[in-house]
Amino acid sequence: MKKHKMLFFRILMSFVVVLSFATSIQAGEVYKLALSLAITGPTSDAGNPYAKGVEDYFRFVNDTKLLGNDTIECTIRDDQYNNDVTKRNFEDFLDQGIVLYLNYSTGSTMGLKRDFEEEKIPVIPASFHAGNLIDSNYIFLPIASYSEQIIGLAEYVAKNHKGGKAKIALFIHPSAFGRGPVEDLTKAVKAGLNIEIVEVVEHGQDLDNTAMLKRLKSKEVQYVLCQTVQSPVATMIKDANSLGYAAKSFGEAGKITFMGAHYTGGNDLIALSGAAAENFFWTTSYRLTSEKSAGADAQLALAKKYGRDDKAANSHNYTNGIMVAQVATEAIKRVKEKGEKVTRSSLYEELNQMNGAKAFQADTTVGPVTYSKTDHAGVDVLQLYRVDGGVFRSVGVPFSSEYIKKIK
Amino acid sequence: MSANRWLATGNYFATYKEEQRIFFTHTDRLIFSFFLVCVFVWPLVFETNNKYMLVVDNILIAMIAVLGLNMVTGFAGLISIGHAAFVGVGAYAVASVSRVMGNDYIFLTHAWPLMILLSGFIGAVFGAMVGLPAFRLKHLYLAIATLSFQMIFQWAINFMEFFNQGQTIYVGRAFWFTGEVGRNEHYIFWYYVILVILVLMGFMVRNILRTRFGRCLIAVRDNDRAADAMGMHPGLTKVYAFGLAGFFAGVAGALHAYLYRGVGVESFTLHHSITYLAMAIVGGLGTLNGSFWGPMAIKILELQVEKIAEHAGEIFPASTNLATALRPLSFGLVIVLFLMFEPRGIANWWRITRSYFKLWPFRY
Amino acid sequence: MTYFFQLVLSGIVVGSIYALSALGFVLIYKSSRVLNIAHGQLIATGAFITYALTVWVGIPIYISFFISLLITFILTMSVERIFLRRLIGEPIISVIMVTIGLMSILDGLIYLTPFGSENFSFPLFLPKEPISMAGLSMSWTQLVGVIITFALIGAFSWFFKKSTIGISMRAVSDDQLASMSIGISVPRVFGLAWATAGLSAAAAGGIIGNTTGLNFDTLHAFGITVFPVVILGGLDSILGAVVAGIIMGLIQQFAGGYLDGNWGLNGTGVVLPYIILLIILLFKPHGLFGIHEIERV
Repeated sequence: MKKHKMLFFRILMSFVVVLSFATSIQAGEVYKLALSLAITGPTSDAGNPYAKGVEDYFRFVNDTKLLGNDTIECTIRDDQYNNDVTKRNFEDFLDQGIVLYLNYSTGSTMGLKRDFEEEKIPVIPASFHAGNLIDSNYIFLPIASYSEQIIGLAEYVAKNHKGGKAKIALFIHPSAFGRGPVEDLTKAVKAGLNIEIVEVVEHGQDLDNTAMLKRLKSKEVQYVLCQTVQSPVATMIKDANSLGYAAKSFGEAGKITFMGAHYTGGNDLIALSGAAAENFFWTTSYRLTSEKSAGADAQLALAKKYGRDDKAANSHNYTNGIMVAQVATEAIKRVKEKGEKVTRSSLYEELNQMNGAKAFQADTTVGPVTYSKTDHAGVDVLQLYRVDGGVFRSVGVPFSSEYIKKIK
Repeated sequence: MSANRWLATGNYFATYKEEQRIFFTHTDRLIFSFFLVCVFVWPLVFETNNKYMLVVDNILIAMIAVLGLNMVTGFAGLISIGHAAFVGVGAYAVASVSRVMGNDYIFLTHAWPLMILLSGFIGAVFGAMVGLPAFRLKHLYLAIATLSFQMIFQWAINFMEFFNQGQTIYVGRAFWFTGEVGRNEHYIFWYYVILVILVLMGFMVRNILRTRFGRCLIAVRDNDRAADAMGMHPGLTKVYAFGLAGFFAGVAGALHAYLYRGVGVESFTLHHSITYLAMAIVGGLGTLNGSFWGPMAIKILELQVEKIAEHAGEIFPASTNLATALRPLSFGLVIVLFLMFEPRGIANWWRITRSYFKLWPFRY
Repeated sequence: MTYFFQLVLSGIVVGSIYALSALGFVLIYKSSRVLNIAHGQLIATGAFITYALTVWVGIPIYISFFISLLITFILTMSVERIFLRRLIGEPIISVIMVTIGLMSILDGLIYLTPFGSENFSFPLFLPKEPISMAGLSMSWTQLVGVIITFALIGAFSWFFKKSTIGISMRAVSDDQLASMSIGISVPRVFGLAWATAGLSAAAAGGIIGNTTGLNFDTLHAFGITVFPVVILGGLDSILGAVVAGIIMGLIQQFAGGYLDGNWGLNGTGVVLPYIILLIILLFKPHGLFGIHEIERV
């Protein structure tokens, strides 16, 4: 009996010794970051892979010692798309002493804007709402805003449409998230963009869009630009397909071409609408795994390394998460290289200098990430993708919107 | 009446007046006063941090809202599935002023007690309006009426440009005699404000229950036809109850607006209405102290589950699904288990504990 | 004019799906006077089970649809047995709250599966081309949905009118004490009511899932969406659910078709049912076909 006790004691002691060694090896500095997002609840289909992307990339950074002995500790917390919880998480993170904060939804970013200003903490949200940047200095959008995406799409239509003025309808989410770009697009049209906005449709929970599609058709609408989430778009393009209204190629005469901004597309759309997604045009600044690229390979390798399933590995929201983590890591790395201390203000300064020769070439996006005092939208170029044979394929080269500058 | 006003092992009331007293014994009063002092003093003694102060403030606001909900659902027996919308009405009353006059308008930042009171009254008006169908409806149908108010509220806020389409409308920092309340003392400051209001509201409820109206409420809940026969007006009583609930909710909403320094529609959705109901149930419907237990229990549960979920996430890193599923699962289980095994809520445990100490050292 | 008739047709199609979703509420309410808030989750569950069987197990969709009906039937029956049986005789708020708790539990369980945060769609099994006639069109999915809806509703009406169990269910809804005294097992009737409601929810889930694709947010929201339908029809009338479903479908389509985009209005299809609901509650609280309880407060 006594022997057993001794044995147990010895095992325990050895654990203690090993543990104390393990902690003493990591002598480097720990940079605290944090992310609060909706892993469950509304929009969790986007939030879930996003969280995985952020988590995996920071683990990758620590495992491969990208920052030398220093490590990044990023707390990820579920807020269920509930702004009050986001605020609580944020206060908690501040108490923990984070140097950079990653946020998620449009609503919470807008709600916490004042706190970001007061705390002077750089923030990278997953919402590309243009309104995030109004009256704020510390929010950095990862890629071009929704407005820029929609105007970019409209410009593409204006350029490539054959025969007269293109007639466009907008299909939007019934909230500020959906309505934001409408205003900007109207301004762009006033500034001379050669399209006509025939109708703005706010969707509800529609089971059937036949009547709406027929109405658009009778008004000779040829392009529907969507700014919402995947599910309503899926219902609509399914109906359009079964009615035979959906164009087989861009701008097919007498048919309707469907196009959408970042959160309307991706594999989720194909998953929801199946074959009806064919010829859906989508714009984002991220590289997709359906196209061969260094970034896509790295992404798949990362997902494999940390045991993610195919669905997460190929999600553009996973890419989104990785990219945000990359930007954060890069900023920390640059501050370190300068020999400065990694603080909120040094990170903020560093992010603001991320332009010109110092632009960050992320492999996950189609263009460089550039920030400056006046430009807080990261990747300014957009890539057009089109569903072809059940996967998104790139169309043409990355482009950037001209009118977004004119309407500012 | 027992001769000793310090110790009473049972009910020895000789007059109705005695039964109506707020504190039955001096000991009760003493303990309560001591408790109040503790509640006011602890932030000065212990070091506080913003997160927990925010949580505490939030719990206190939820308590005010649940006091109102308990009024209408617990005491009057009318199910309200739209309480968050009433809270929202209060918050948007503040937001409207901010929207029209600018978020640093002096009335908003300096006269905030008036603003809070005003929001309460606006909430009361809306509450009474939604309660109007109570003249004709009972039970479920009334519950559905409140539900439809919830949906209409959400749509209206989301749709109207005036309300910034549901996006955050900022509310400026409040001023105290010492000047602007800065970021560091913000949560502490509002802790005291909310606490004072909560205590006042608590006494208000206790006193309402001692009045004719309070007795009407309970009578109507238990048997409205009998109440009618005794000369009460059940319809009016119910509308008053809704108005009162609206008042509490409005005050809670205004406090929420000031605490978060902004109002967004996402804080007042159907989900929140359901959470308020859950708080009322877990605390104990139709009891005053239940309104305090419920919010505390639900919010603390939420925090604890969050912690557990985080640990679970560390142990099984690849299966975050498990960690995130824990929260709805535990929330649902708590409600269901309480209803199945302790339908009278935590207030019942409180009652049992109290009577234990009253009778101590005897069993009964 | 074709546009008008198209709106009517779409309204009827959407309306009958509403009717089917509303049926679940009516079945439960009719026998046990309980409002099941977790109905949306049941709809989602039905859709997910059908999908899992069809795609992951590889059973043809026609069969898997029926198997999923059966599974949900058993599932809801056990839900009733575990959670609700104890609450017979408790105040109505407790029972409603239990269904709210149930909603959260089901949410949690669904988040454990891939369905919680991923999107799927059913494989195509019907012709892609719509049925077109005189400028009107509807898809095959919708046609099949409408047929299933009416078949189920017909079956349920027959069941309640003619079969012994159906009659005993009606007896229980009328007077529990009296039906007990003539030898009807009230708990069994409650169980059965839940089970049939689960079945109808699964059927609705299958149909909605085919129309919108499988997204948890979208699917469970239907539980709330059909509330106005249930009230308009009267909580305890199957016929009411059908008529009200179609009326609501028409209202939504007309609101979307004629109101939206004019006078600065938008998204009226979502809120209009609730406004109508409040008006109904004020003037005709028991709905179009509900039984008038002779009782005023």
